[in-house]
Amino acid sequence: MSPGPSLPVQPPNGPQPNGEPSSGPRSQKSMTKAERRELQERQRAAKAAKPTAAPGAPNAKQAAKSNQPTAAPKKGPDSGAAAAAKTPKDAKAATAVASEGVAGKAHGLRIFSHFGLPKPVSAAKGDIHPAVVRLALQFSNFKITGANARCIATLTAFKTVIQDYATPPNNTLSRHLMTHLSPQISHLVAARPMSVTMGNAIRQLKLEISGSDIDLPEQDAKDALCQKIDNYIRDRIIIADQVIEETAGNKIKDGDVVLTYARSSVVEKVLLGAHSEGRQFSVIIVDSRPMLEGKRLLSVLSSAGIQCTYLLLPALGSVISEVSTVFLGAHSIHSNGAVYARAGTALVAMLAKQHSVPVVVCCETYKFSEGVQLDSFTKNELAPVGDLFSSFPLTKPREALTLHKGPNLEILNPLYDLTPPTSITAVVTEVGVIPPNSISSIPLALGRLL
Amino acid sequence: MSQTTQDSNEAIYRAFERLLEDEQLSPPLAAILALTELIVGSNAGTMFELVEALKAAAEVLKKRSSNPISLNAGCELFIAFVTLFPHESDSFAELKTELVQQGRRYAAEAISFRDKIAESTLGFIKDDSVILTHSYSRVVMKALLHAHKTKRISVYVTEARPRGLGLKTYEALTAVGIPCTVVLDSAVAYVMDRVDFVLVGSEAVVESGGLVNAVGSNQIAIIAKAANKPFYALAESYKFHRLFPLSQYDLPTHNPDILSLPSLPQRGSGTDSTPSSPALRATDGSPPSKTAVSSARLTMTAEQIARNPGVDYTRPDLISLVFSDVGVLTPEGVSQYLVGMFAG
Repeated sequence: MSPGPSLPVQPPNGPQPNGEPSSGPRSQKSMTKAERRELQERQRAAKAAKPTAAPGAPNAKQAAKSNQPTAAPKKGPDSGAAAAAKTPKDAKAATAVASEGVAGKAHGLRIFSHFGLPKPVSAAKGDIHPAVVRLALQFSNFKITGANARCIATLTAFKTVIQDYATPPNNTLSRHLMTHLSPQISHLVAARPMSVTMGNAIRQLKLEISGSDIDLPEQDAKDALCQKIDNYIRDRIIIADQVIEETAGNKIKDGDVVLTYARSSVVEKVLLGAHSEGRQFSVIIVDSRPMLEGKRLLSVLSSAGIQCTYLLLPALGSVISEVSTVFLGAHSIHSNGAVYARAGTALVAMLAKQHSVPVVVCCETYKFSEGVQLDSFTKNELAPVGDLFSSFPLTKPREALTLHKGPNLEILNPLYDLTPPTSITAVVTEVGVIPPNSISSIPLALGRLL
Repeated sequence: MSQTTQDSNEAIYRAFERLLEDEQLSPPLAAILALTELIVGSNAGTMFELVEALKAAAEVLKKRSSNPISLNAGCELFIAFVTLFPHESDSFAELKTELVQQGRRYAAEAISFRDKIAESTLGFIKDDSVILTHSYSRVVMKALLHAHKTKRISVYVTEARPRGLGLKTYEALTAVGIPCTVVLDSAVAYVMDRVDFVLVGSEAVVESGGLVNAVGSNQIAIIAKAANKPFYALAESYKFHRLFPLSQYDLPTHNPDILSLPSLPQRGSGTDSTPSSPALRATDGSPPSKTAVSSARLTMTAEQIARNPGVDYTRPDLISLVFSDVGVLTPEGVSQYLVGMFAG
């Protein structure tokens, strides 16, 4: 792409003249990408400069949105703000900017700006049940984390909602309850994007609701629904975990060195179960900032008497040659066998594969997601900036360890990443041990069980 | 163990051995027939008792067999079949008779599985193919003999130490006029560029889509992959097993003795304290200075051979296709078949 001869804009070096392309309005098609961006940014700066009441705001925005790491044309500070989001995302970024103003959240990120930026939980719109409000706060403050925990908490809160629900006159429970639940669900999603587990559970719940008998008295219908929710939790999570604990535990032999990453509730159960069976093994826990979830796993395992080693992700390369097996948890698993899990899991899996260490993913079948995901970019979630997560005593003052945004610094914390199926040796589910490429045959197997 | 249990264990094992004498029957089929005979003689009154008795018998066979994996596959298949068999008949005795009939019919039909496999393999063998095979496998023999009727093929077969079954293949092929040469196990890489594709039999095909076969198969598969030659495995469907080994050392046949290093006494003073364990004597190329190694053995002792594995595990990404009576499957297809069949 070569710039048109008459355009005075020079990427990436010279300071930009504050003005428009001299030779009249040129069609956007004939400009290069850089030039189009220029134009857009100039237009937005002009727009932003006009309606903003607080004089400080545009400056703060401009200061925050300066020089981007990639080959965007560098601008002098006087030539206006340079939000560098890509063309179709500019509208979204602009509104995000407007709403967050001086709060200085991650509005200037080039990449990852297309999925949910963490927002402060807005005031509850409409009739939100207090249990749901409480849950949303817990989600947004990361007090409840982990796919299983979130799903169980959501379903438990919904049981309360259902019990407190009264069918309005001239309505049936099976039809109206869903409309009653929808704003509750949206409120939860606003706090934190829905996990695949929550999505699958809610979909099942909707199915049950729409299938509930119209002739049943209201309390009976509600009790039946709560019973179904309990059964779902029991069958798809609790009992599934027990089966996985046993199956995966058989893969741990005396003298093994097991490696795990961050904190998966299923892997924790597997390791505790194998230990209580009397197997002698040691565990290496790999952890990473900012969430440092591995510390909690470390305390649980070491109080159970398992010999543990704790290290951070960058140190993984030094210990991988000693490892016999890697056990990982998952947030969800896609039909092509790719595993969507805590950011850093992909690194662990790929490194293990390189060293011919078997990688075993422990995952219940309700985490199965029908879609296919090929990379970590298309769907992900950003963690809020700041040190919300680590509640363990730190060796240095918290402030020293927390990164703050600066005029030239944006902080990027994706929470999840995607492990390709080629790095995974086996997936342990409650229907058996399955190679990652055959995950799509699980619904077939489940169809017989359900 | 009570006398009756011991007797019945002996009985089943003897039945199994007797059935094995039939050349056509592979261990899993013989196991299925032996279990069928157990049903005939069983006085179980309920399905539960019967299944328990079958499971106990399967354990006995497994323990006394040197090569339990394929046996296991057959036993599990039969027990699953018995458990899932629809109980239409009112009397239990009728049910047992029905089961026995089904068992015998299955075994008879299973012999014909090899023909089916040979037929589907035929489509993949071009005229003038050079085929590499490993050790001795009944299903591979059938496929090669079938191909020989209509096409020209020549075969390299590995010696397959320590059992040396490759020579059995050599005899059989030469007898029908197929040009055949025995190749050293260590010369597989040397010959691979001359070969069009590799054809092996199997002890078991496992849930991951991988292959458990006589030791050496993994090596051949890796070399074939490096040389970009297709690696085909032939397996009857009763050899499909729900086992999932994560690595070689995760196989049920692996035990701490295999590949164990001897614990030698401390190296004392000078060279004449060279320990005289047989492990060192044969492998030591240069004779130690003082100890006379006049009669250095150039063949492995039985003890040394016992330290080596009998079967190995080939990963699914090294296998091109698995030919079976349920169809020509990719390794992923094998696990889909297994999940579909056994789950639920």
